Amino acid sequence: MNKIAPRQLYFFLACIAPLGKLVLLPTQLAYYAENDLLFPALVNFLLQAGVVFLIMLLSRSNKTFYDLLVYTFGRIAAKILICIFALFLFFSGLRPILEQKLYVQSIFYDTLPSVVAFSSFFLFSAYLCAKPVSVLGRTWDILAPLAIVGLVGIFVFAIPNADFGALAPVGAMGANGFLRGTAYTMSWFYDTAILLMLMGRFEYKKGMAWKSAVFYLIGALAILLFLAVFYGVYDGIAVRQIFSFAKIGKYNSGVTVLGRIDYLFIFAITLGLAFYCALPLQLGVTCLVHAFGADHQKPALFSVAINFIVLILSIALDYQFGIINQTVNETVFYLFPVFCLLVPLFALLLRRKPREQI
Amino acid sequence: MNKFKRFLKTVPMKLYIILAAIIVFSFFSNDFGLVDIQKTAIILAAGIDRTDEGFHLTAQIAVPKGAERNSCGTASVDIEGDGKTVSDCITQIYSKTGWVPKLIFCDLILIGEDTAKDSDIFDGLDFFLRNEYMQDSCLIATCEGSAKDMLTTVSAIDDTTSQAIEKIFSDASQKSGTTVKNTLKDFAIGYYGRSKSSYMPFVRSMEQDCGSESGGGSGSSASGSGGGSESGGSSKGETAKKIYFANETALYREGKMVALLSPEETFAYSLLKGNVFAGSMTAEEDGKPITLSILSDDGKISLDVKNKPKVTLSLKTKVRMFNRGVPAPIRDVSEGQISPAVEQDATARLTDYLKRLWQTCKSSGCDLFQLGRNLYRSSPKKYAEWKDSLLDSADLEIKLKLEKVK
Repeated sequence: MNKIAPRQLYFFLACIAPLGKLVLLPTQLAYYAENDLLFPALVNFLLQAGVVFLIMLLSRSNKTFYDLLVYTFGRIAAKILICIFALFLFFSGLRPILEQKLYVQSIFYDTLPSVVAFSSFFLFSAYLCAKPVSVLGRTWDILAPLAIVGLVGIFVFAIPNADFGALAPVGAMGANGFLRGTAYTMSWFYDTAILLMLMGRFEYKKGMAWKSAVFYLIGALAILLFLAVFYGVYDGIAVRQIFSFAKIGKYNSGVTVLGRIDYLFIFAITLGLAFYCALPLQLGVTCLVHAFGADHQKPALFSVAINFIVLILSIALDYQFGIINQTVNETVFYLFPVFCLLVPLFALLLRRKPREQI
Repeated sequence: MNKFKRFLKTVPMKLYIILAAIIVFSFFSNDFGLVDIQKTAIILAAGIDRTDEGFHLTAQIAVPKGAERNSCGTASVDIEGDGKTVSDCITQIYSKTGWVPKLIFCDLILIGEDTAKDSDIFDGLDFFLRNEYMQDSCLIATCEGSAKDMLTTVSAIDDTTSQAIEKIFSDASQKSGTTVKNTLKDFAIGYYGRSKSSYMPFVRSMEQDCGSESGGGSGSSASGSGGGSESGGSSKGETAKKIYFANETALYREGKMVALLSPEETFAYSLLKGNVFAGSMTAEEDGKPITLSILSDDGKISLDVKNKPKVTLSLKTKVRMFNRGVPAPIRDVSEGQISPAVEQDATARLTDYLKRLWQTCKSSGCDLFQLGRNLYRSSPKKYAEWKDSLLDSADLEIKLKLEKVK
């Protein structure tokens, strides 16, 4: 089986993982923390980076998360636990897909599109989910340069219009704004859950632990800069500006001459986003394959079933996004620190060799 | 044979990948070009006026040019609607014409003068700020009289009035310092910000004698609610043609127009914003006019609240002799010297403009310089102390430096 190369994993951590934080997270941070939006994001990024480091240390055994569960709890319990983890991945993947759906409808369609317009995404997602996780490496090789070009392009267009003074005064929102901002935006930080499922799919090499954390922080830095530019451009009305990365460049004076050339960069990021949104579903399917085996075209069947369910949900919940978003952010947000911070920490205690070999 | 069988086996998957790629790419591109011009009202500009019942919206809508039209530019019709809210007006336009209003190309929102002075205009702008299919980078302006009257005038320079108005907000006019422009986004930032103040250019029209049917624009007429008036190539010679200018600036406080900056004050504000790179100003020498061109300018507004608030308006400009209003010897034309008297007069005039600008802001309560916002950013405590009396109690200092360039 082809393994993901260290380079490809770094590409994911530095270039692909940050993309998911561009769509609605800036607006939500502005809603909870206003001009202090950088600090909740920084805390979440640091927590994730710390756990990325620990997961990478754990991956020195070159075993998958499922292997560790089997070694520790036995096959039956491991299957149950990995199915629970799959449910979390499907759950964490649902909101980003709905987010992406609204984003595409709002930005790429200038009149209201039909409810099923986004459905074609699931054809692509179903194909991707049926493929083994090892294909991700090559995908990231292609997407990483696109993501870099996209982000740099948007920065070039947006930074001249940003008034960074809008971020002052620091700490104006107080501890309450900071805590709400940190807790209620945790649902966008599930990269460690993804990395946990990638364990064993790459060959650990010396120094990968700290390098992975550093690459994750490089991506985090890009997002923090984006958040600063975002608030600098929109100031007090930032809370209203959803899908801002697709709009933030249009105020540049060059746009009046060149037209919306920033769409090139928006498309590049959107392509990366499509893969990032499908990733939790793909890894969820991988969990199911661990639990139920890969024979009789099961990966394809799981993929079709899951994508069909999410498609139905995306149509049925078309007008409920506000409620879903609020529920995920404010009511069940604790699931994310449990699965993305505590579970990886707990995984450090798991057996790394089969019982008979101990 | 084996190779062929293997190839056949992979065909469905390859087809699937190609299909998925085509669908995803076309899906991410746009709405498949399904914008039917016959069914869609592409709104180029919107004019908002307040009525007893709510709002009167005048939408200038682009229409395809007919064969009989022989001028260049964009043809348009003005469609009007009434309602309690702006969206009611839009709905009325939709129901009366059957056209789906499309706001993505709306580049100008015009507010009638009375509407602006009456009360907070954000009850009218709310619709545009909320609408996800509306560009918040669109220009925003106040106009003399009603927005309906302004939009239904006939431009002397363009088939479509709104496009003629937009021309006066070009980069060239910004650099000359005669006009300041503002967008919906920036106006909203000022409105919702600590200073609760913002501005819009104030548009006036002036009759222009164009002779017989030369030039671009023609034919428009007044229209009733829900009706339409058309502008385009078809001529109605009796209608007066207009040109537009916006060398004044409407000041807003809490969404209400509270004052109007004169052309001189507008020019001073442009200089303070550091926008002027190709402007000019006229001074006098021995009672004779001399125009100086402004090659560059660097404006700065600072607030000091150590003891009593003090506002400093700093201005550094590079000026060059542009022309004299009287015949001059060839040596003077060649040297282009600016005499100390001219320099003194220009400095005095600019100082006067800046003082008048400050006085207008102070008396109207419009925090045009965003002093409250800047104070909050530097010290929330001081902001709480001074926020209600900042403009009234602040002293003014003007620092002006004219640099002569030969």
